[in-house]
Amino acid sequence: MTTPPSPQPDDDALPTFEVDDHEWLGQADWIIGGEAAAKARAQGRYAAYVLMLMAAVYGFPIVQATFKTSDSATLRDQLHSAVAYGVGLAAVGAIFAAAVWAGRFRGPVVPPMPWIDLVLAAPVDRALAVRRWWRYAVVGALFVGGLGGLTLSAGLAYAGVVGPLVIPIALVGGLVLGLAVARVWLWAQVRSWPGPDRGLSLLWRVDDALRELHGESLRQHSANTSTLAGSAMTGNLRTARLTFARPVRRARTRRLRPGRPFPVLVRRDVLGLRRQPSSMLTGLGLFLLGSVVLAWALTQPAAPGIAVPLAIVPLYLGYGAWAEGLRLQADNIGTPSLIGSGPLEEAGAHLVVPTALATLVLGGSYAVAVALSSGGVGVGAVASIVCALGALAGGHLLAAFRGQPALVSGPQILIAWYLMPSVVVLIVGSLLPLLLRAGKEGGAGIAVWLVVGVVAWGLHRVRRLTHLHRT
Amino acid sequence: MSAVATLTGEVRADGVGKTIDETTLLLPTDVHADPGECIVLRGPNGSGKTTLLRIIGGLLVPSVGTAQIGGREADERDRAVRAAVAGLLGAPTTYRDLTLIDHLVLVDSTWGGEPATSDDRAQALLGRLGIAALHDRFPHELSSGQQQLFRLALTLARPASVLLLDEPEQRLDTAKRQVVAGIIGERAQSGVTVVMACHDPDLTAALATRIVDIVPAR
Repeated sequence: MTTPPSPQPDDDALPTFEVDDHEWLGQADWIIGGEAAAKARAQGRYAAYVLMLMAAVYGFPIVQATFKTSDSATLRDQLHSAVAYGVGLAAVGAIFAAAVWAGRFRGPVVPPMPWIDLVLAAPVDRALAVRRWWRYAVVGALFVGGLGGLTLSAGLAYAGVVGPLVIPIALVGGLVLGLAVARVWLWAQVRSWPGPDRGLSLLWRVDDALRELHGESLRQHSANTSTLAGSAMTGNLRTARLTFARPVRRARTRRLRPGRPFPVLVRRDVLGLRRQPSSMLTGLGLFLLGSVVLAWALTQPAAPGIAVPLAIVPLYLGYGAWAEGLRLQADNIGTPSLIGSGPLEEAGAHLVVPTALATLVLGGSYAVAVALSSGGVGVGAVASIVCALGALAGGHLLAAFRGQPALVSGPQILIAWYLMPSVVVLIVGSLLPLLLRAGKEGGAGIAVWLVVGVVAWGLHRVRRLTHLHRT
Repeated sequence: MSAVATLTGEVRADGVGKTIDETTLLLPTDVHADPGECIVLRGPNGSGKTTLLRIIGGLLVPSVGTAQIGGREADERDRAVRAAVAGLLGAPTTYRDLTLIDHLVLVDSTWGGEPATSDDRAQALLGRLGIAALHDRFPHELSSGQQQLFRLALTLARPASVLLLDEPEQRLDTAKRQVVAGIIGERAQSGVTVVMACHDPDLTAALATRIVDIVPAR
């Protein structure tokens, strides 16, 4: 039994009534929920099973392959350096930042719409009414955190970089991190709607945080979940992107300077990034991370072989954050042309800004790595960087102009369709240093042709998709 | 640099129809229009007006019949056809990080507009449509009626010899409909061929040199 919280002074004279929250929610469960709750629990268990299987089959081997090297002593020293600890802390910080970011549009508490409309409208304690979805999220976060810690530490121990004692410590650390991230995620969800109580103390006052969740906010988050799920299922990436995006309101007095077609398209992208510093910074953070790892891999003999593929992932994502112009061009396919330039010229113009930024960051990182290392500038390394930039540009043409997935397609096809451009860049980017390594006969030629092939394929996609819609 | 043919605004759609699987979207229809004419397509919802406009614009291949712009097959892949046809057929995707005036400057610049006067042309067009005060808004900050005026501005900002409009009066109040009618009328008088679907009898009476009634498939 609960009574309405903190009655106002004027309410003293008013008649009151008592609400048996558990009884009401039980009734609602019986009427609305039926078998749904049991089904949701079964789905959760299945997801955990799949996740555990993937961690065992892929996670553990990848981690131990990542740190497998012919020079484990040097690698162990580097992993115990201040820089490595800094990178670790930055990674944890990035996880919390991601939780805050996601909480703006998709928090941990997302009941189904009928529950929000029909049950949350009743005067039951909101903390009780939404608690089960919070618990699902907490269990999920604990599971992912624990599994992550276990996989990472087991992989490191197997590769001989850390002792076996680290495994239980990492497991506990992962669980604690998972719980903390879940609470920050909830806090961010509360903050996604205006309210009187949005302070940091909500991080440990979970029930109060759940009571602070506004009905309209819950509706919005639930709708966003449906939109994102629908977009993912149908391959409608624009809708998903717009759901993630925050409305632009900055620098409205800054004008697009008129000029010739090509430069004005380039200036458009520069203006876009100035108005969306979050995209600029996201791209910079990711690209810098990838650049540092790539530069390390190209200058340090102790770097494990898998460092290059690992660097390509953030490089690809960072480049993508800067390439919004390219995606917006692809979004407009199928409508009468507003832009006077041809599709290839337009696509080329939209590659200028991300490629220039990428060159700056990657070149700078390599220069710093060379300065810090004992060796000089390697021709193969520089060629690898130039070719990687080409592969990134080509890969993002493929990504922006990937079109729609096949109408009759299962989840596997959909995932393959979505990942195809990044996988192409990953494969080509990983092969480049091997092919361009000094003394490798004919390697340079193959590397150049690979990159030219990716760019040509991307341009072919631009042409094909621009005109394909007619039929 | 490459040469692109300049097509006149002659629109010839002869017996064009569209059928997808078992569903007929448009029964075979004729539309002929010459420069300076304004043809209004009329018909109930679902009769195929938008489909016909998309065929004329070269965005859709007809199942039967032929469509030509200035004597060339209406095919959006043809640069000359793209240069000739401007159209507002559904909502164009806009840049969420560009203001209204930026969009018009972008369109103007990519069609080779003189950079020194691009701002003036953009501001003037927004002024003609009565949304000059909104020049520094982003598209997501507009009401639905203002969005429609902005879309019209985007379509009118580029040069064209054929103007295709799908219900340009959508979401507009009476005063704004008259403004839009004035601008479309001016375009027609300047020699542009206008083909538009319209449900507004006043707009139709004010602009139509000819009316084509589209017969629904069922």
